Amino acid sequence: MNSLWWLALPTLLLPVWWHRKKRVQTNAEPLASARFLSRTEPRQMRVWRWADVVLLIVRCLLLACAIAWLADPVFPWRGDTVVVAEGSDAQWVEREIKAAGYDTAAREALPAHAALAWIGEHEREFKPEARLLVLGDIPMPASLPQFRRPVVLRTLAKPLPRTETRVTIVSERAQEWRRMFAALDGPLRVVLETAPGPQTELIVWDRPGAPPPSMRAPLWWSTDAGAFTELAQSKAVGGIRYADGARGRVWASNAWPPSDPAAARALLETWRELHYAAVPYTAPSMTFTETNVPAPAYASGALRDFLLWALVALFAIERILTHARRR
Amino acid sequence: MAQVSSALIAHTTDLELVIRHVLAGLGQGVHAGRERGSGVEFSEYRAYAPGDEWRRVDWKLLARADRYYVREAERDSHVAVWLLLDASASMAEPSRSIAGLDKLSYARTLLACIGAIAQRQGDAFGLAVLSGGRVQFVPAARGPRQLQRVLAKLAQVQAEGDLPDADLLRSSLRFTGSPSLIFAATDFLDWPSPLSQALVRLRHMRHDVRAVCLQTEAECEGSFDSGPAYRDPERDGGVFRFGADLREGYLRNREQHFDTVSAALRASDVQLAQARIEQAPGDILRQWLRQGGRR
Repeated sequence: MNSLWWLALPTLLLPVWWHRKKRVQTNAEPLASARFLSRTEPRQMRVWRWADVVLLIVRCLLLACAIAWLADPVFPWRGDTVVVAEGSDAQWVEREIKAAGYDTAAREALPAHAALAWIGEHEREFKPEARLLVLGDIPMPASLPQFRRPVVLRTLAKPLPRTETRVTIVSERAQEWRRMFAALDGPLRVVLETAPGPQTELIVWDRPGAPPPSMRAPLWWSTDAGAFTELAQSKAVGGIRYADGARGRVWASNAWPPSDPAAARALLETWRELHYAAVPYTAPSMTFTETNVPAPAYASGALRDFLLWALVALFAIERILTHARRR
Repeated sequence: MAQVSSALIAHTTDLELVIRHVLAGLGQGVHAGRERGSGVEFSEYRAYAPGDEWRRVDWKLLARADRYYVREAERDSHVAVWLLLDASASMAEPSRSIAGLDKLSYARTLLACIGAIAQRQGDAFGLAVLSGGRVQFVPAARGPRQLQRVLAKLAQVQAEGDLPDADLLRSSLRFTGSPSLIFAATDFLDWPSPLSQALVRLRHMRHDVRAVCLQTEAECEGSFDSGPAYRDPERDGGVFRFGADLREGYLRNREQHFDTVSAALRASDVQLAQARIEQAPGDILRQWLRQGGRR
């Protein structure tokens, strides 16, 4: 829609018209019987010559600049480009670039999750013959991205970062709980503590009676629903009652510690999904073929800052010149 | 011979040629030649000059002296003809329909024809050109040489400036007591003007004054081009515009002006001929000369 502003370009004719020189009509023909006519004011004629040419040029540029600012033009200026996800293995990236023949291509370092979206938004800026290569640990998008040019995707799954979580077990059956936590695989690693500290994320309260009020943690697992008063009106999902209290969120179940591997896995998965961010799935290497579907939203304002500064500068020059002309 | 149109005036600057054509078209009897025969009494011999009629050459003397001599009559006429030419700037008004024709060239032609007629009749004739605030004279005389002088003077006249002022004109146009026939060609756009006063005064001095008022077709009909701006050639300042909306007012003002002019001239018994310069000069000449005849 912005490009409709280009239709305002004929306004450039206004200063061109206004700057035409006015001249009093002096080439009057002699007429002997003019004395029988009533006198009229001499007519002002515009001639095809321009006054204050510099000012005229500045005014035209000012108008053109304002229209361009509104029209927000996009020029295809990007050539071959390699989009590299931040944090990718540099050696692997170099190898891939060399293998794909992108040695001279420009590189754009972007967060991995934003790389494909960035290409969609900026695809108008690429020259028609430009090639695109995306490298890094790019997460698999929910739907297949569609670009108006072929895009090559080469991915390398990074080793998942290991996160530690501190767990305090207050239980007579601590051995069973430890066994369950030891069976946890994946990037999450459990560090067992004997007493809860400020970094403790989970307290397993497998003991009758209420915990001391000084103990706090984001999550409590309790085998005794009566130990926590907030569980009185609680809801239950999948056999687990849960409620938020002053000490933190409480999950309670009488079936704990889980007796079989399936129940243990279910509990640990539930915990991991609800309390820790999902680990993105790295997309497989592939080539997106070109489609005719335009991006839902293109990036705008590539030249806006530059045009705005030009507009300000031209306006200042125009004012100065106008002032100088009047003096 | 076909009537000579005013286009001929626009096409040539050779006054003699125009005169010959105009007078040929005029036919016989205009210059009634009342005076012819009165100058048959021999006075003297004079050397032949180009333009003299061959029949006035004394052939016997040619045989004796081997030179051309012309028999000069005693006095061909008692009437002096004065040609008055208004050559003020307004006389440069061109015809808007015939290119190259203007009031001055038309007036020049008319006066040259009168001069030629006067010369043929043996009248003395002189020329006074009123131009650029001055009066230029060719004193009255007779003969073909005089005609050459008058034609030369007429040919070099340019329309410029204003009429001379009344005092200068009064002192300049002091003719001898002999009765004169005064032909004045002007556009009468200025009224009263030093020229109009002079004409009236000359009439009061018992001279026969005949004026021709030169106009263009466009002036009479108010058919000027509405495109360009106009200025008065004799008055400073001001630009004038012409258009269909102004035509009525223009024609009214003009008619009023010329009514005043004709009434004043009639009251002073000055003959006035109206001429459009697009008309054939022969017709105008006939009308101008006949007017006097009717008196």
